[in-house]
Parts: sequence; C-alpha cells; structure tokens
Amino acid sequence: MSAPANLPLAGIRVANFGWSWVGPVAGQTLGFLGADVIKIESHARIDINRTLPPFAEGIASPDRSLQNHAGWASNGSVTLNLRDPRGQDLARRLVAHCDVVLENFGVGVMDRLDLGYDALSAVRPDVVYVSMPAAGLDGPLSSVRTYGTSLCSIAGLDSITGYDASGPVTMENAFADPLGGIVGAIGALLALFHRRATGRGQHVDYSQQEGVLQLMGPALMDLTMNGRVAGPIGNRHPLGVGAPHGLFPCTGDDRWISIAVCTDEEWRGLVAAMGAPAWAGDARFATAAGRRGAIDELHAHLAEWTRDQDDHALADALQHHGVAAAPVLNVADLLHDPHYCARGTFIEVVHPLGFTETIYGAYVKTSRTVADVRPGPAMGQDNDRVLRDMLGLDDDEYGRLVADGVID
Amino acid sequence: MSTGALAGVTVVELGDGVSAPFCARLLADYGAEVIKVERAPAGDVARTWGPFPGDRPDPEASGLFFFLNTGKRSALVDVTTTDGQAALRNVLARADVFVENQRPADMRAWGLDYASLADASPELVMTSITPFGQTGPCADWNAYDLNAYHFTATGSRYCGARDRAPLEHGTFSADFFGGYVAAAWTLGALYGRAVVGGQHLDVSTAEAVAALFTGAQNIGAYAQEGRFERRSGSGMSLAAPARILPCADGFVWMIALEAAQWDGLCAAMGNPDWAAPEIFRDLLERGRNADFLYEMLEQWTLPLPKQEVMDRCQANGCPTTAIYTIAELVAHPHLAARGQLVTLDHPVLGPTTVFGAPIRLPDCPGGPAGPAPLLGAHTAEVLA
Repeated sequence: MSAPANLPLAGIRVANFGWSWVGPVAGQTLGFLGADVIKIESHARIDINRTLPPFAEGIASPDRSLQNHAGWASNGSVTLNLRDPRGQDLARRLVAHCDVVLENFGVGVMDRLDLGYDALSAVRPDVVYVSMPAAGLDGPLSSVRTYGTSLCSIAGLDSITGYDASGPVTMENAFADPLGGIVGAIGALLALFHRRATGRGQHVDYSQQEGVLQLMGPALMDLTMNGRVAGPIGNRHPLGVGAPHGLFPCTGDDRWISIAVCTDEEWRGLVAAMGAPAWAGDARFATAAGRRGAIDELHAHLAEWTRDQDDHALADALQHHGVAAAPVLNVADLLHDPHYCARGTFIEVVHPLGFTETIYGAYVKTSRTVADVRPGPAMGQDNDRVLRDMLGLDDDEYGRLVADGVID
Repeated sequence: MSTGALAGVTVVELGDGVSAPFCARLLADYGAEVIKVERAPAGDVARTWGPFPGDRPDPEASGLFFFLNTGKRSALVDVTTTDGQAALRNVLARADVFVENQRPADMRAWGLDYASLADASPELVMTSITPFGQTGPCADWNAYDLNAYHFTATGSRYCGARDRAPLEHGTFSADFFGGYVAAAWTLGALYGRAVVGGQHLDVSTAEAVAALFTGAQNIGAYAQEGRFERRSGSGMSLAAPARILPCADGFVWMIALEAAQWDGLCAAMGNPDWAAPEIFRDLLERGRNADFLYEMLEQWTLPLPKQEVMDRCQANGCPTTAIYTIAELVAHPHLAARGQLVTLDHPVLGPTTVFGAPIRLPDCPGGPAGPAPLLGAHTAEVLA
C-alpha cells in the first residue's frame, strides 16, 4: 500500500534498515509525512522489540507485540535475510528504487553486509544515506557500545537527572531513541533539500550523542561562563529562575501538581489563589531573588497547602489566577485525559492481522494534509508489493528464495 | 548566500525561551536565513534567564539566549500595536516559514494567528510550538517546560523513587524535544509545499513527548490490559543489570542484557565466583536476583574510576558506559575530534563556545553561522 499522493513527502521512498526504536521512529516520521517507508527485517535476526509482551489478545507473536507498534507505525516491512548474499543483493536492488536509506547499526555493520554507503551509492548515486550510530561515524568514541537507555550517560544528560547532589537517578527507558529518530529524520530531510538543489546525495552522520548533547546547552554555558559543573536539581528550574518551581503532593496515590512561578505577576496570582495566607506576606517572598533564596521554605509551605487538594481541580484554580500549574499525569491518564482525547493523541486502529490496538496518531496537527498513520507492520507484509511488483521477481524465483530462507 | 542545505529559505521566528528559538536555530544551523522578531521592549525572555558571566544580569550576556540564537538576526517589534503588527506581516510576506511559541490567545489578539495570515500568505508554513498546542481544554494554559514535561507521564513512569516526586531531566527536556519535532515536521511541510501548499503545524511539546516516548511503549498495553506501571526508582524493571551504579569518581550506566554481554561483564570483573552460576546467564533470572546482583556489582565498581569500569566493560563486549559531566564532555577528545565545540566572537561576551550542529552533512556542512544577535540589532534592515 503506497502513501496518499497529497502529502508533503509523496513520491519519496525510504529503505529503512533501522531497528530497535530509533530507526523505526526515523522512518515513521518520514512515513507520517507521506514517504513510502520500507523496513527491511528478518526472522533470522529478529528485532528484540518484536518479542516483548504484552501481545495483542494475549497471543505471542512477533507481529503482535503491543510495545513496538506505536513506534513502528507507518513503516512497511519486507523480510530479507541479510546474512545471505542473495538477501544483500535484493536489498541493493531495492535501494536502487529508493531516495533515502536509514540505518542505526554499530559503525561498520552495514559495510560488512555490503550495504554501506559506497555499495549503495553505486546502485543509487544520489541516495541520501543516514547513519545513526551511538557516537557518530568517526572519533575516539565511535566504536562505543550502548543501548538507547544508557546513551544519555555519554551525552551528560544522566549527570543532571536526579533529586540532588547525592547523585543521578536512572531514567528507566530510552529517551534518546525516539529523540534520535526525529533528529535522524531531520538529517534525511536536510539532505533531500540539498539533493533537490544540487542533484547530489550524501552520507549523513547523525551521532545520537550529539543529538542529546543539545539538551546540555544550558549546562555548557554555565560551565564556560562561571566554571560551574551542573548536577541533579530535582524539578527545579534548570537555570534557577523560578521559585517556587517543582512538584507538590495532592490527594490520592502518587498524585502531584507541577507549579512554576517565574514572574512577580505569577507569584501574586499564586498568593491570591491561596487566599493570601500570612506566611506568603513574608517580605522575602515579595521579590524573585528573595523567593529563590528561600525556595526550600517556600516549597514546604506550598506542599502543606496542596496536600489536601485534588490535582486537577487545583490546576484549574491556579490557571484561573494565571499560575503555570498542571496535574502530573501517569500512564493511564494519558489515555483518558480530556486534553489528549480532544486532540486525538492516542487512537485505536485495526491491524492488518485483524486485531484492534491503541497507538499514538499524528502528534503534530497539520492544517492541510492528514498524516498517514498506519499500524506497526506485520513482518513481510510488503513482500509482494516490493519484491514482485517493484523488483520484478517472478513466481519461480520468488518461490525459490522463500524456500531457501532468503525471503524469510 | 549560504551553501547550507536550506540556502534560500527565509524563516521568521517570534520565539521566547527554548522551544521555538531552538527549532529556528536548527534551521539557521543548516543555512536558512532566520529573522528573530523580539517583542518590545525587553525581547526574548531567555535574555533574562542567564546564566550570566559572574551572575550579573545583562540582556546581552545570557548564555541560554546565546546558545539558542546563534546565526540569527534580531528585529525589535512591538506586536501589541497596529504598526508593529503591520511591520511583522510585511516581513512575513517574504518568509517561507514562521516559527512561534506565543500563547494562542495572544496570537489571535495580535492578528498573527494562522487564520489571519493564510489569505495573504498561502505558501507560508507556520509552526506553532506551545506546551499544550492550539486546541483542547489546556491550549491557553500558562505553562513552562516543567508543566509540559510532567503532563507526559514520563517522570511518573520512568524517573524517580516510587515514594517521592517524579523527576524532570534537569534541563528543558520537553522544550528541546518539541523543538526537534517541530523542525522535522516544518522541513517535511516545506519540502512538499510546491505540491500541497502552505499550512499550519500545531506542535504541543507535551503531546510530542507523551506520544513518542512514554505513550509509545505503554499505551497499547494499558489499553488492552487495563494495568500500567510506574517508575521503579531502581533501573529497568525485569532486566538486570540495567541501572546507574556509583564508582570512585562518579557513576556508570551499568547494562548487560544479552548473555554474551553478561559474559563480557564477568570477564571485565575477572570472573568472580559469585557471578559464575549458569542461571545468571539468563536476563530474567538476573532480574529476579537484582538486589543481590547490584550489591555485588557495586562492590566491584565503587573502588574504580568510572572510565576504567567503562573501558574494561567495552573491551569485553559489555556496553556499560561512564556518566560524563558537562566538564568532562567539554574536555573529551571525542567532541574535539568531531568539531562539536565551536567558538564564536560576540561584542559583549567575547569568544563564546557552543556545541556544533547535531547532524553532520559532509556535502553541505552545518553549524552556527555567527553569534547571537544584540537586541534589535537588525531592526532597521529587516523592516526596511
């Protein structure tokens, strides 16, 4: 199934060798925008994300892992065993029909499969080839091995995530992966602009470390300007601007409200919302500098006030007074919150295999075009379209390659 | 004229703080001409946020502002007046892209919302980046990065102690993430503009993180099973080792999931007896014995420098890495070798170092094209 023709990237075809999470998100980003994205995968080296429970309707199968379908949505799937030279040959023939190649293996893996930039630009001279290794294609760390979950360690982000100076707290999933998928898509799009202007393709080098590094910009500036080395600050303002600035307990199990006050006007709104308690009249709290200096005391007072209140009702009340406050959502809230429901953030789709599942839809709303959101693919669902129709394999050849486990 | 991938593209930004300025700076990094319109009289609020050299506030010396606004020109405009609005509309008439992060109600009041601009500029790609987006019950809420980030369940699900508050990353995490998302979709819309026309992109930083990160790997399971998980405070659930551990001089991200990686970790430790039992080669079995495992691993890591733990693990095929501080990163030969530290001269700050562009395009290199502008430095030439 090809993408609708009225989308911005209609006519762009992508061979996605990416796996795990970062590669599929890079492909999905281009797919939502209308590109025809063909993920190349294999039963011989199955992506671990396809093996994770829970499975749709409880039936274990690499096509039914609920965890991977949202992040893999709008990728197609062709199954080729790339350990077999005939699989590599088919992949090269496929790339001849593609504008973009995406991959996020360790440095050198694609070269060893004879699918590196040199091999693929030989069959498609203007190919935009995007590599997304952990720390880039060259440099002393280029052979570093990481998982997406741990990648933020070498980008510094883990060094500033935690409650206080006692040390970092683990971010228990791979923030760098979906972020990297988005940045990889930016790389592909930039190179497509350049190709349109010059006719030339190129080998784009996206170091996932460098994508996350941008989030350390504020820390970099404080280091170079003041010699300070950023560490964990809890939920405080990254530059110490706001006070109060944090999460405060509310009624119920693990319910919290976020409150951030960065201006005097917001402080006056907060005081009014609280009914002007005596403690808030303390002269120190009248100025931003005073509030910053007494932030622990301020937070203790505020927590006493929020503790017996409902997070949603309190957020509404504070917003009524112009205060930046919002409930702290948990996973269940994402599905039920009126705001996300109104925006259609999460949608129910029917998978080609017949089951119904919930994934995210177009998280960016576009006024003219409708994003092409399709469920994460069943393995090999595009084999016929791509291998027979596009590459022209006849029945004999196709059957032989299936029998030999090349199309697997 | 620039030789970047976006040479010839004109971007107008009406941005404050982090999200929209970051998005527009990415476009500037790759050759777009970015006109930053700052609201009179004070300009971008980031100018007041610092950090400042010596902690002395100065609107021309904010490090955050510098980092997010390299390579742009600045025009100072009072968008609350009809003259200012007309001047901005005039600039927008020759723009390809308009990136902004003002409150939707303000944009409507100023006549700068998409509905008011589309007739005169049907080819314009307008990208609005706000905490909650243009529609929905929270659209006009006042919010900062903290409020948006915790509206995504990210801290609740993945970061913090179970009996303490969920945690933000310690930076403007949702704003940066939303800025990247906005840049990707803006480029996509711009690439296809000749065929499909201009349009409005509505980006919610909260929604982007809620969907792409925390929702992605939880919402399908929750919708089917009716159960959901929360942060454990002790690393990845089920699998071990997969968490941060202390060393003599800092911390490592200790991780070994596949059997070969566990074998590598054992080799890195000198194959101690406690790790020898065959059942420990199974990921889930290690997860069930996580408390014991972490206690023993910590006895190994605690006396060692983090770089040594990393080097020993990496040499044996275990992907454990050191947690670098910002100071260690700036001194790291890897970033120097890759040209990731770029120094630009600024009339007030002098030579100032920022990171290079996050994607390397060998045939049309990106990177900061010049220092951040002084407030309104280009007002006359831009509005002329």
